[in-house]
Amino acid sequence: MEKLMQDLKVQIIQQLNLQEVKPEDIGNDQPLFKEGLGLDSIDALELIVLLQQFHNIRIAKPEDGPNVFYSIRTMAEYITAEKAKQA
Amino acid sequence: MKAFIQGAGCVSAQDSNVFPGEVRNYEGDRLPVADPDYKQWIDIKQIRRMGRAIKMGVAASHMSLENAGIKNPDAIIMGTAYGCLADTGVFLQKLVSQQEDMLTPTAFIQSTHNTVAGQIALLLGCHAYNNTFVHGAFSLENALQDSLLLLAEDPSRNILAGATDEITDFSHTVLRRFGLYKNAHTSGLLRSQSQGTMAGEGAAFFVLSAGKGEHSIAQLTAVEMLYRPASEEETTEHIRIFLQRNGLQPADVSLLLTGRNGDTANDRYYETVEQSLFNDTPVAAFKHFCGEYPTAAAFGVWLAAGSLQRGSIPEEAMVKGLPPVQPERILIWNHHHAKHHSLILLEKC
Repeated sequence: MEKLMQDLKVQIIQQLNLQEVKPEDIGNDQPLFKEGLGLDSIDALELIVLLQQFHNIRIAKPEDGPNVFYSIRTMAEYITAEKAKQA
Repeated sequence: MKAFIQGAGCVSAQDSNVFPGEVRNYEGDRLPVADPDYKQWIDIKQIRRMGRAIKMGVAASHMSLENAGIKNPDAIIMGTAYGCLADTGVFLQKLVSQQEDMLTPTAFIQSTHNTVAGQIALLLGCHAYNNTFVHGAFSLENALQDSLLLLAEDPSRNILAGATDEITDFSHTVLRRFGLYKNAHTSGLLRSQSQGTMAGEGAAFFVLSAGKGEHSIAQLTAVEMLYRPASEEETTEHIRIFLQRNGLQPADVSLLLTGRNGDTANDRYYETVEQSLFNDTPVAAFKHFCGEYPTAAAFGVWLAAGSLQRGSIPEEAMVKGLPPVQPERILIWNHHHAKHHSLILLEKC
């Protein structure tokens, strides 16, 4: 899980072109949207593409989005659970 | 309709306060932009989504508004030939490499030509008239003409008008294959006597209004375009008539500011017309400061407006004659590959 969370931070910085943000600046439980990293609705679309592109996972239910993309940890937990289903 | 330039801002290969000051010289086949600190105008969270065309446009527009002492214009009108080329490239490349699947929205959103004017409006919270002209090397000139028409319709408006264009590594490689560029040094570019020029990019914006104000730096008297003239003689006649229409003779022009770019064939055109029309007029050039690009005339307007305000022409700009002291009137004549000719007349105010 730690490795996956670290990878996610690097992927998010790259995909969203977060200039001047380093992986260590993003907390595992820090909210990604609004008061946390300050991401917005366009970033949400980028994160959906990131999940497909890097982890081959499609979000089946759009209403799950706010919970899945709450933090790095919730994203990693979702990816782990979906990978287990695929196995 | 005439307009007063209330403020001007420019992002180019030169510092925004280059004149009077030290001119930056470059070697190679393209001039990079001397990027200002964009964070002074744009939030860091927004900068990450912006290509250079947008950043340059936003910065130049903010500079001009600050100079004019205006927070929100009554119209935003700009010209761009290439638009947001970098984001267009990213989007198209992903479209191909990812077989039209999993395309990210940012590059698509930022790839349209009118993104620049849109971003300027968003950052200002400006809901007024917003228009982008994409007419190749006439893009700036159409934006200026639209501005003059709007001012004729409603003289109370303050209009933000300008142009931006960027180079990408990909576009530069493609254009270089056509033999458009050569390796040179900017200080000797205009004397290089060979084919090709140096590529450039940049943005310049102006706040225009119908009345003279405390910040007015120059007067934009007339803008005209001539497409594909059959010969140098036709161009000469066109310039003569243009001046007559504005109640002027060639001798009334204090300085002819040309779009010479160091390409022999390109510059010969200026020589021929000057010999029959502007024999006794001092001649200057601006593309050795900013490089060649379709909306480079915006840099010329910025240089001319600043020169009229200061009452002096930078010596490095001169091609023929001595820099006129306290110039009254500058005619900018620019042509792009001898097809798109534009005449922009500026006067002291």
